[in-house]
Amino acid sequence: MKKRIGKIQSGVLTGLVLAVAIGAGVAAFLLFDTSGTKSTLPPEYKYEIEQYAKIDPALIIYEQVGDPIETDFDTACAITLDDAGNMVIAGDSKLVKYDLAGKPLNEIELPKEPTCIEFDLDGNLIVGMSNVIMILDPQGNTVQEWSAPTAVSLQTSIAADKDHVFAADALNKLVWCYDREGNVVNKLGAKDPDRNIPGIVIPSAYFDIATYPDGLLRVVNPGRHWIEAYTTDGDREWYWGRAGVDIEGFSGCCNPVALAVLPDGGFVTAEKGLVRVKVYDADGEFVGVVAGPDQLGWIEPLRVCKTPEECKAKGFDVAVDKAGRIYVLDTLRNVVRIFERNKSAAARAAR
Amino acid sequence: MEKQTPDNLPRRRFLREGLWTGALAALGAACAVLLAKGRRQKYVWQIDPLKCIGCGNCATHCVLNESAVKCVHAYAMCGYCDLCTGYFIPEPKELTTAAENQLCPTGAIIRTFVEDPYFEYTIDEPLCVGCGKCVVGCNAFGNGSLFLQVRHDRCVNCNECAIAVACPSQAFKRVPIETPYIMKDA
Repeated sequence: MKKRIGKIQSGVLTGLVLAVAIGAGVAAFLLFDTSGTKSTLPPEYKYEIEQYAKIDPALIIYEQVGDPIETDFDTACAITLDDAGNMVIAGDSKLVKYDLAGKPLNEIELPKEPTCIEFDLDGNLIVGMSNVIMILDPQGNTVQEWSAPTAVSLQTSIAADKDHVFAADALNKLVWCYDREGNVVNKLGAKDPDRNIPGIVIPSAYFDIATYPDGLLRVVNPGRHWIEAYTTDGDREWYWGRAGVDIEGFSGCCNPVALAVLPDGGFVTAEKGLVRVKVYDADGEFVGVVAGPDQLGWIEPLRVCKTPEECKAKGFDVAVDKAGRIYVLDTLRNVVRIFERNKSAAARAAR
Repeated sequence: MEKQTPDNLPRRRFLREGLWTGALAALGAACAVLLAKGRRQKYVWQIDPLKCIGCGNCATHCVLNESAVKCVHAYAMCGYCDLCTGYFIPEPKELTTAAENQLCPTGAIIRTFVEDPYFEYTIDEPLCVGCGKCVVGCNAFGNGSLFLQVRHDRCVNCNECAIAVACPSQAFKRVPIETPYIMKDA
C-alpha cells in the first residue's frame, strides 16, 4: 500500500511521546535534588569547617602502599606489629595475626572483648580487656594474667618496657605501672598539684600511651591536647602539643586518640572527628601529614554518625614498623591502610 | 390483608426505619472518627538522633513560627570539656563566653564552670531555634551528647509533619505517645 507523504504514523507518534517522557524523567532525576529540601538558613546558622578538611598537598609526605587490607572483624579496636612485620589485630573476642598481604596466619580466641594490645621486648603479646591484663607467649599460651586494682576500669592502651607493664585506664584517668607479675608499682598522671601534675582529662574513651627509647613513658592527655612524658616514678617531665583545628594542632575536644613512635624518635598521631594522621618530630614539632579525610576514605568528615556503631567507633589506631611504615587501622570499616614516606618528600628531607 | 413489599411500605414506617438507619449510621461514623482520631493520637513525631545530620531544616520548615524542635543534652554522654566543640567555633580566640567565640548564633547554650577543667553546658530553650549547628559540632568532634528532639509541649502533631517531609536523612518518625522522646545514652 502506498504511504501518504506528510502524515505521521501512529507508531512513530507514540515513540516520540515515549521518548520525550523518558527524556523528561531522566532530566528531572538529574536536575532536581530528591534527597530532601535544602536548608534555607543563613550562613551563620551552618557549621562550616570544610576548609579545615582540605589539606595542602605539599604537607602530605606519605603515600598509601597498595589497597586497604580487609579484616574479618566486626569491630576491630587495636593494631600492633611483631618483629617480623606481621600485623596483629584485636577486636570482637579474638586476636588475628595477618601477613603483609593481609592473609590471616593464626587466630587466638579471648575470654572477652580486647581493648588494647602490644608486644613486650620478649615477643610476648600483652592484651588488655577492660579490667584484665593477659600476657600471651608467641604460641598463644597465657603466661600471666591479672586484674586492675579497682573494681571498675577501662584499659584503652598497653605498653611495656623491660621491667614494667603500663596500662592506660580511661575510667580512672591514670596509668597503672605494674611489675611483670602484675603488682602495682606506681600510678602515673593522676592529678597532684604538689607534683605539678594537672591530671589527665578524658572526655571520650580514647587514652593512648607509648614507651620511648629515652625510658620515659609518653602519655596522651586528650582533653588537654598534650603528649606528656612521665618517669616510672610518676614524675611529669614535660609535655608538648596544643589544641587547634589548623593542621599543626589537635582538633576537637579530645585528640589525639592514638600515638605511635617512629624509628627516628618522631611521633605518629591519629585524630578523630576531623580524621587526620600526622607526624611530629621528637620535640613535638609538626613534620607533615600522613593522611587526611580524603586519603582515609572519609569524604564527609563532619557528618553526624549514621549508625550506633559509627557513633562509638570514630577513632583510628596506628602502628609503626621498623622501616618507618605507618599502619592505620580504621576501626569503623575494619580495614588497614599502610603508608610509607613518599619519595619526593624523603628526598627533600635528605637535602 | 395487603401484602407489604418495598414498593408499598407505609410512609410512616418508611420514615421511622429510615431515621433509625440514619441514626445508627451516624453513630457508627462518629465512633469510627473517634476511633481513628484516638489511634492517630497514640503516635507523635520524633527525630531519631542517630539519623539526624543537623541540616538546619528543623529551624525553617516547622509550621510553628518558632520551631517545635529544640536541642537537648544527654549529660551522661557529655565530656564536660573546656574546649566544647558544640559551644565554641572551630577556631575560638579564647575559651571564654564572649559572643565572638560561641558557635550558637542565638547564644542558646549556657556554659557553667564545674571544677578545673570541667564545664557544664545547658540549653536555654526559649533561645534555641533548632538549627542543629551545635549538634554537628558536638557529633563531629565530641561525644554527640547534644542532639535535636521534637518538644511535645510545643509540637501540634500535624498529620503530615512539614519538617519530616523536608528531612533529607529520613530521621523523622512516628513514635508511641507513651515514649515520645528518643534519648541517646552513653
